[in-house]
Parts: sequence; C-alpha cells; structure tokens
Amino acid sequence: MTSTDVAPIAEPSRGGFFGADLRFLGLTALGLAIFPFALHLIGGYGGLATQILIVSIATIGFNVLLGYAGILSYGQAMFYGGGGYLAAILLIHAMPNHPNLWLAVLGATLMTTVLAIVVGAVSVRLYGIYFALLTLAFAQMVFFIVEQARDWTGGDDGLQSFPTPLLPIGPWNVDLQTPLPSLALGPFGNLGDLKLWYVFAAVVLVLVLWFVRSLTRSQFGEVLDAIRENEERSVFVGFNAAAYRLAAFAISGALTGFSGALKALYDGTVSVDSVGIERSGSFVIYAVVGGVQTLFGPLVGTAIIMYLENVLSGVISYWQLVEGVIFVLAVVFLPNGIVGTILKRRRARTMLVNAVRVK
Amino acid sequence: MEPILRTTKLGKSFGHFAANADIDFAVQPGELRAVIGPNGAGKTTFFNLIAGTIPATSGTITFNGRDITRIGGSHRVHLGIAKAFQTANLYPDQTVLQNCRLAALAHLQGAFSFQVFRRSTRHARIDEIARRSLERLDLHGVAELRCGDLSHGDKKRLDIAIALATEPVILLLDEPVAGMSRDEARKTETLVRKLASEMTVLIIEHDMDLIMGISDSITVLHQGRVLATGTPAEIRENAAVQEAYLGGHTAEELHA
Amino acid sequence: MELLIQALLNGLVRGLIYVAIAVGLTIVFGTLRLVNFAHGAFYAIGAYVGLVVAQHFGLVPAFVAAPIAVALFAIALDRLVLRYFYDKGPTLQILITFGIALVVEETIRLIFGGTTQQYPMPPGLAQAATTVGPITYPTYQLLFAVGVIVMLLLVWWFIRGTTYGLVVRAGVRDRIMVQLLGGNVQLASTIVFALGAAIAGLVGAAASPIYSLDPDMGFNFLVPSFVVVVVGGLGSFWGAVLGGLLIGELQAITTLVFPPAADVVIYVCMALILLLRPQGLLGESEVIRQS
Repeated sequence: MTSTDVAPIAEPSRGGFFGADLRFLGLTALGLAIFPFALHLIGGYGGLATQILIVSIATIGFNVLLGYAGILSYGQAMFYGGGGYLAAILLIHAMPNHPNLWLAVLGATLMTTVLAIVVGAVSVRLYGIYFALLTLAFAQMVFFIVEQARDWTGGDDGLQSFPTPLLPIGPWNVDLQTPLPSLALGPFGNLGDLKLWYVFAAVVLVLVLWFVRSLTRSQFGEVLDAIRENEERSVFVGFNAAAYRLAAFAISGALTGFSGALKALYDGTVSVDSVGIERSGSFVIYAVVGGVQTLFGPLVGTAIIMYLENVLSGVISYWQLVEGVIFVLAVVFLPNGIVGTILKRRRARTMLVNAVRVK
Repeated sequence: MEPILRTTKLGKSFGHFAANADIDFAVQPGELRAVIGPNGAGKTTFFNLIAGTIPATSGTITFNGRDITRIGGSHRVHLGIAKAFQTANLYPDQTVLQNCRLAALAHLQGAFSFQVFRRSTRHARIDEIARRSLERLDLHGVAELRCGDLSHGDKKRLDIAIALATEPVILLLDEPVAGMSRDEARKTETLVRKLASEMTVLIIEHDMDLIMGISDSITVLHQGRVLATGTPAEIRENAAVQEAYLGGHTAEELHA
Repeated sequence: MELLIQALLNGLVRGLIYVAIAVGLTIVFGTLRLVNFAHGAFYAIGAYVGLVVAQHFGLVPAFVAAPIAVALFAIALDRLVLRYFYDKGPTLQILITFGIALVVEETIRLIFGGTTQQYPMPPGLAQAATTVGPITYPTYQLLFAVGVIVMLLLVWWFIRGTTYGLVVRAGVRDRIMVQLLGGNVQLASTIVFALGAAIAGLVGAAASPIYSLDPDMGFNFLVPSFVVVVVGGLGSFWGAVLGGLLIGELQAITTLVFPPAADVVIYVCMALILLLRPQGLLGESEVIRQS
C-alpha cells in the first residue's frame, strides 16, 4: 500500500491510438472475450460474468482513491447505491413511458458526481482515519435518507421491477436482455448463456480502463502520485493537495455511481443494501485482494471475491470466513494484491536482466 | 523602500506554550537576513509561519504589500516564497532530477491542473528549469540516482535545488550547512552568496562565522520574541544579545 | 416523565458500554498510534466466551474468564500481526484490523451460528428491579452501570498512578523519554493494548445479559465507539467518557422521540465535530487537517 511498492506511473505514451494503446485495448478486449467461458469452466455463469464487469467499475473507482490518491474512503456505497437509486428513480418518475438507458445512467452519474464534490469539499482536508470516518458518517446519512424516503426509494423494500430501458444506438433500439446466438463450447459453456448486456458491459469496462490508464499517465496522475508519495513536499513545491484529492474523490464518485446505475438497470431492482456499510466494505476487500495500485487489480479482486460469494457459497457454508481470511492474507503478505505482486516480480526480473545487460 | 516581507505582532502558540510571540519583522528586497538565536528560540517556527507550514495564532504576514496570513502553503510557493527544510524533505523513490522536475512542473502548471489525458506539454521547459537548479547545486552528476541513496549533504543540497526550481522571490534556508563537511559547507556558502544577489534570502544558521561573513543584517530571536535586529557589527556589540546568546562573553573572547 | 427517566437510564447504560470500548480504543491510539478496527472484536469475543463459561459455570466465572481470554487473544494478535503495522500509517492499520474483525465475526458465526443468543441468567437476578424515582428499572443494569464506573475509575488510577500508565500519559511523542526514564516501552505498550482489550471483553461479557449476542455485535458497537472517540477526542480518556455518555444519551433520547433516526443521529454528531472541531471536545489540536 505504500508508494514504494509498485511503480505506479509508466512511461508517457504519445497518446491517441498508437502502438501501446492499441495493444492494450486489443489484449483487454481479448481477455474480456475469454473471461465468461473461463468462468464457466470453474462453475460460474453468464450473469455472474456480467455482474463482475459492472461491479468492478466501482472497484476501479475506489482504487483511484486508495491506490492512486492514497486515501481510504469507507463510504463508497453512498455513490454506488446512490447511483442505482437515482437511475431507477429517473426511470420511474422522469421517463416512465420512454425509458432511455443513456439518460438514466448519465443522469445518475452526474448527480452522484455532484454528491461526491459536495462531500469531498468538506472531507478532503482531514487526515487519514478522520477522512475514512467522515465518509462513513456521510454514507450512513445517505442510508438513513434512503430508508426514510419511502415514496421515492421504497424504503426497506427497495425499488423493484422498474421499466427496463432499451439502448438506443443510432437507428436501433437494442434490448440488452437479448441472448447471444447459441453456440456450444463444450466445457466452456454456451455462447448463448451470455446476453448482449455482457457485450455492453465489456465495451464500457474497456473504455473505463482506458480512461483510468490515461489518467495515471497524465499530468494530473503524475501530481496525484507525487502527493501520495510525499504530501508535505508536494504542498511546498506548490501543488494544492486538497484540490487534487477532491478531484480524485469526484472521479471516484462518478465511476462508482456509474457502476451502481448500470447494476441497478441490469438487475431491474435496487435494494437498500446497496447503500449499506457492508457494501462500502466490499469494495475495500475487492480492491485490496486484487491489487490497489494496478489497473487490472480491481477487476481481478472483484472477480475472485464475487466468484467466492456466488459460486463457493453454494459449496462451503463458511465462505465469508474464507473471504475474510483471504483479505487478511492479502493485506499481510500481498500488500500489492495479486496483480501487483505479479507485476512487481516481473519488474524486478526486468531490472535484473537490464542490470546484467548493461554490464 | 517597501519591505518585501513584513510580519506584524506575529505569534504562534501551541496550547499555553508560545513558540513565537509579538514578532515584528521586515526585510527589504534583495537582503540576506540571518535569523539566529539559542536553541528553542522559535526560529524554525518563525520560518514555518512565513512559509505557511503552520497557521499563525496571532498577527499578520505581509508579502509585497499583500496580507498572506490566511493563504495556504501551496499558494505561497506560487507567490514566490520557497522554503528548504531543516531535514531534507524529498521524494525518496524518485530520481534527483525528477524531484526538481516536480517542483518545476508545479511552478509552471499552477497549484492545480485537471489535465487528465496527457502529460505536460512543457516538458522541455520543465527539464530546463530542473537541470539548471541541479547545476547550481552541483548535483547534475547524480541526476539519475534515486535520491534516497544520496549522502546527507547531497540531500540537503537537493532540498535547496527543489526550492530553486520553483523560481522563488524569497528563499528560506533552515540550517543549510548543518551536518555538511567543510568542503560542502564552503561550496554552499558560496552558493548562498550568489543566490542572495538574485533574490531575498532568509537563513537560519548556528555557524557564527558563516553568518557574520555573509549577512546583510541579522535578527536575533530569544524565547520566541525578537531580541534585536541590526547589522552584523551591531549585533556583535549588542549586550543583550551577548547575554542571551553568547552567555556574557564578548565576541572577541569567542573569536580568540 | 417516566419514559424520559427510563430513556436517560438506558442511555447511561449504553453510553457506559461505549465509554468502556472507546477508552480502550483511545488509549491504544494515544500510545501506539494504532487505529484498531478490530477493537469491537474484543467486545464480541468477551461476550461469546462469557456465554460459554456462563452456560457451564455461571455468571461470575464468566466475568473473570472473558477479559482474560480476550487479553490473551489481544496479546497474541499484537505480537504476531499488529506490531508490524505500528508505523505503517492509519490506512494500512485500518485495513488489517478491519480484516481481522471480519475473520473474528465470521469465525463466531461459524461456531455459534448466525442466530441471536441469549445469556443464561439466574432468574432472581433477571427479574429483579429497583425503584428509581417514579419508575422501576432492572437491577442488573444498575449494577452494571456501577460496575463499569468503578472499573473506569480503576483504569484512570492505573493511568495516573503507575509506571505503565506513564506510557499512556506520555504518548508516542515522548517514547524516547519514557525509555530514558527506564520504562520498558515494548512491554508497556503490550500491556496497554491488552488492558484496552480486556476492558472491552469484560464489558462485552457483562453487557450480554442486557443486550443479546449476535455475530456482528462487534461491528455494531465498534462504529459508534469510533464516533465516541472522535467526538471526545482521539487519545483523551475523559473525552471518551464524555463522548460515550453524550452519544449514549443522544441515542436513547432519539429512540424515544424519533426511533428511525437513532442510528444516524450519532453520525450527524460525528460529522459536525469533524467539520467544526476535529480534535474532539477534549482532544488536543494536533495535526488533524492536512494542507
């Protein structure tokens, strides 16, 4: 978790769709294409794969805060659940007859970002533990509001079966519930197990990853990294650390709200759990297990834990204990998470090779 | 001439303990002012108040006629007030050059920039400023080294280089030669003289020879308050200063 | 009127539990600079150990066994895991202790199941009630309150009057001074940590007749205790006392007036303190704000 463990900023790329970027996009797309089938091999199912992709966007958002800005927020559920509720409310109240997926999701994301800016503006000046506790406090207030505003949120029952929007792309209106054409793939399941939702989620995830990747390699990312490495030094060369943290918090809130909105639309329901304290804790677990200063860590961590929650839970009754133990082991032995440790080994090996080469 | 920096009744209390009290201080542009005093006199606290590391509990600070008492540290850097820390404060895992480049980047981009898509387009200029700072401190030879690996003296010099990379108008040096070898100290002394001809320099030091030799003027702090201000000659003859600082011995006795 | 007195007494009892947990939290932070999200686990372990002992041996042995068991667990935890995290900064500490709390909670759920447990109480004690002004109030709860107050005074005496207490008072700032004065900082730190844990464990066992046991009771009491610590001032013993009583009463009165807000009202309180007086009511104004 310290800044020294994984070199967070790679060499600057020339931007645009040149060499490294294209390769990155290609490999990621390939990985996501294979993912649901590999998952099926170990007992997963199509819906789970889609959910993993959607939820990992929120984990990526959390990682922007913890891994890149270096601050721990214990209230991400207010953005995640908030995004979900806002999307559902927009669909139910603002466009009951013409549900539009883009508007619902973007509207929810926008409002969540505003919430993040407001909460962040008062919170980011506080040090470590106080910041974590204040975000927790705000999240609990949001929880309370959601529980009480029954007319809007359904209170403890949540919102169920709201109109499922179609996705307008150009001249078409796509129904994301449509399954893909059936194609048996042996032990890897059937292509028809997947719906268009998966394709949509995958495309969205690739774009999010590309955004975060360019973020970390950007001027903003370079400064954020410096602030995380030595805050006092950064302030006294002239960087406004609080402003950078606020911006990171807003970006994180936006990504998390976006994820929550998508999840709500995918599920067709939104429940009060999505703004609860366990939800906030879950992102911490996903991110730490996967690797906090890496691009793919959040995705890996989310996949592993959600797999545990959904597949292993049927097999082992004490799966939550396993989850807790994995988390503790990850913090103690793999402070860079699974992906981070792999990257670190590879980098160490490269440095060793280079050192030998130079001689 | 208007002082470039002035404090009026500046004070800082930690609970009941007054680290600084009632400090009236003014320095002219281009001056090299030494701030001296026995240990615990509040010199570093005073520098921290000017740089904005800690907020004042009373009094005001004026820079170029502008009240900066409530302005945060990062903005003071952009106004032109740069501080080199007493214990070198660096990015330990970055190279020497990168440390300076970050300072230059801050100087050019401002306190905040939401450029989330690409690196700074001004890397040539950033590089130029950074390398020039390193050269002034004779550190260009170790530019690619990880600065955590530097010697103590080099680290202190790097701290000064970082401050210079922000192109300051006032430079605060807190014990710049402490812990340096004689050679390094002499080189640093030469540098400080050179810098003093380009900008206003405030320096805290215990090395009396150095202070008396290079300062235009000296402020003596004692128990958080200003005891005396004057030229080196005046301070040397000042009985109160001798009493408090030099323990009653005359300067001649000490220099014997 | 009767309802009000009842609520105030409820608030006192609950508040004293918060104080007991918060005192442990705050002195551990004050001396070890350790943020311990697993502190609630000490409370829960105390309660469940107490449950098992009470079922076989009765109430009093339970109150003896619980703090001892928790203290041993705390010492093991400290020596094996936590001491490597002392200077790793609050973020990492929160993460590791959060993880430990999770593991403890799930282990409890594994062993005892997810259902609520009731404490075995001798029927005479369970039914006894004392007259307090116009109302009658369960005797056990009054005894509990008195017991906790006595315990807190003992802790205060320990902090004020013994060498180990010196470590608590001196805080990390003066670690070197304590060492120079001949105190064994390492040993003292472990003792302080174990003491904080034992207090939580004892109160966990003692409070179980009042509130039933659930595997997530650790977290349920931990989060308000952090609120108490923040409100009172991180590192301040009397701050924990003041904060605990304040929060306890605030919750009780809110439960009387507008029950759904009973949880959120303490978060609003904490948010206000963090925004207006972040060092807490009795805390020192250390560096809490960043630039």
